[in-house]
Amino acid sequence: MTSKQNILDGIRKNVRHDIEMPDIDAIVPVQYEDSLSKFVEMVKFVGGHARMLEPDEDINDAIRRNYPEAKVVASSLPYIKADKDPDMVQDAGELADVDLGVLEGRVAVAENGCVWIPQTMKERAVMFISQCLVIIVDRNDIVSNMHKAYEKVSSTEYLYGCFISGPSKTADIAQALVMGAQAARDVTVIVR
Amino acid sequence: MSTRHSKAAKSFLENVERSEWHDNTLWGVRVKRDRMSKSLPEWERLRDAASAIKRHTLSHLDEYLEKFSENAQRNGVIVHWAANAEEFNAVVLDILKAHDVRKLVKSKSMLTEECEMNPYLEAHGIEVVETDLGERIIQLLDQKPSHIVMPAIHLTQEEVGELFEKELGSEKGNSDPTYLTYCARESLRNEFLTADAGLTGANFGVAETGEIVICTNEGNADMSTSVPKLHIAAMGIEKIIPDHKSLAVFHRLLARSATGQPSTTFTSHFRKARPGGEMHIILVDNGRSRMLAQEKHWETLKCIRCGACMNTCPVYRRSGGYSYTYIIPGPIGVNLGMARDAEKYHDNASACSLCCSCDNVCPAKVNLSEQIYSWRQELKSLGKAPMTKEMMSRGMKTVFDRPALYNLALKCSPLINAAVTCSQAVSLHLWGKGRSLPEFAKESFHSMWVKGKVKNDK
Repeated sequence: MTSKQNILDGIRKNVRHDIEMPDIDAIVPVQYEDSLSKFVEMVKFVGGHARMLEPDEDINDAIRRNYPEAKVVASSLPYIKADKDPDMVQDAGELADVDLGVLEGRVAVAENGCVWIPQTMKERAVMFISQCLVIIVDRNDIVSNMHKAYEKVSSTEYLYGCFISGPSKTADIAQALVMGAQAARDVTVIVR
Repeated sequence: MSTRHSKAAKSFLENVERSEWHDNTLWGVRVKRDRMSKSLPEWERLRDAASAIKRHTLSHLDEYLEKFSENAQRNGVIVHWAANAEEFNAVVLDILKAHDVRKLVKSKSMLTEECEMNPYLEAHGIEVVETDLGERIIQLLDQKPSHIVMPAIHLTQEEVGELFEKELGSEKGNSDPTYLTYCARESLRNEFLTADAGLTGANFGVAETGEIVICTNEGNADMSTSVPKLHIAAMGIEKIIPDHKSLAVFHRLLARSATGQPSTTFTSHFRKARPGGEMHIILVDNGRSRMLAQEKHWETLKCIRCGACMNTCPVYRRSGGYSYTYIIPGPIGVNLGMARDAEKYHDNASACSLCCSCDNVCPAKVNLSEQIYSWRQELKSLGKAPMTKEMMSRGMKTVFDRPALYNLALKCSPLINAAVTCSQAVSLHLWGKGRSLPEFAKESFHSMWVKGKVKNDK
């Protein structure tokens, strides 16, 4: 506790100003007339794929059609046909061989292709360790910008949550962009 | 050409091909940043807000830290406070020992570089594996990062290829970046699965919720914390922001400024430990609270470590990260080093052309060049002002203070043209090293005006 006290005392002794918090609501952020098509455009821009679920298309068929080669599918969503359930595995390491993880996003952001995925499963490793990801979002959950996105996120409870914007990427070797650094190499967002 | 920076820059520039690549590549990142910033009409409003939020938060840092720590504890997170690097390293080691950790995977954290945590842990028998690709490369080479966002920007793909051939058993002669990235991916997956703990930095600490936020493109911070059960997060106390509303502002600025992306791939919010896991946050001061009292320099603490000031800096681009003596290079590094220990890091103050480009790209509006300028004024009182420049300045003052002497000097100035050429030939001309002097005109504007030679068309 002494370090805490020392640090706080040091701050109180050294601060020279008393500055007001600005009014963030005064910023007028960009709004897209068609946030759905902007979102689809941005998912592609960040290296992902985006597609609409057709009115009478089955979600499991749509996933299969996009990833016919996936041998091990993992999901904790009750309506998804999967081989592994991140809720049921003993250990995160059991998900190491997953080819395709299927997740549900709660907020989708048009300005940057981000999708908010809170941890609703026991082992969130499925969000990162899977070779490929399918993220399902509802078209009514698309917002224009991050201000709106955080407004929605703030009203929820979560122990962990992540905005994912396309596949894992790096340019650490000679600034050459490579998809699939540590996490998913390929991401498809299905909008229903 | 007397500082350690200028000497190191000279040797960096000897490899013309590499230094040109470095310059052009980083300028390319700056161009991408511009494209992103111009896509948002509210960009300048966001920068104003970011600066104002940070100024507010820093001026109430004690309250926000207490609020953050209370909320984090309410979430079941164990919060530690470390006054300096030694305390920080000791806290990390204690936690690791209590959990019998032998292997630690970690994501990028400039704070752990600042505290020299890796060598400390290794000396105590802990294996530390960097998992950001760039950090992993320089760890295997036993080097330091040369850029805070692109730590291996000084290396070519051939050099990485040779390294991976030796360390990871990659194919001989294959230096394709995709192939090499996948080799590292395979190797690091094994490290994640066999590690006992994960350590991360933090981009933001949100006081209202007690959560930390980490931005990565690779997903390595998430791999490091979703496989091992123990998560330790290291955070400098200046990373606190009030709430999600503020976070939205910083999120919109960070990746656009850093790499010209609309967002990093992953923006991860850690609020509670995983089921069956344990989460620690270590709040580190290490000189930050002291900086709050430096009237001219406290706003350096607004920095969100995007690296945009390096990418735009004509000196950084042409001298490379290793020419700076502080662990963080570029305009922000000059200032952070000086604020930490001006005596030790004064060499970097010369690494600035005062073009002010950094001030214009900084998302938090840190007045970087103004601060460097003011540090230079302080060099004399530190006894670090270069003697030749001091003498020249004194000479100039003598001339400029005396109109008669000034006019005489002006009349004689065309003679300097010849003198400079001669002195350069015999390398006596100190000022001219690395600079070229414009030729003096045969007649001054003043005398032309008096003689009516200057025509006013209006």
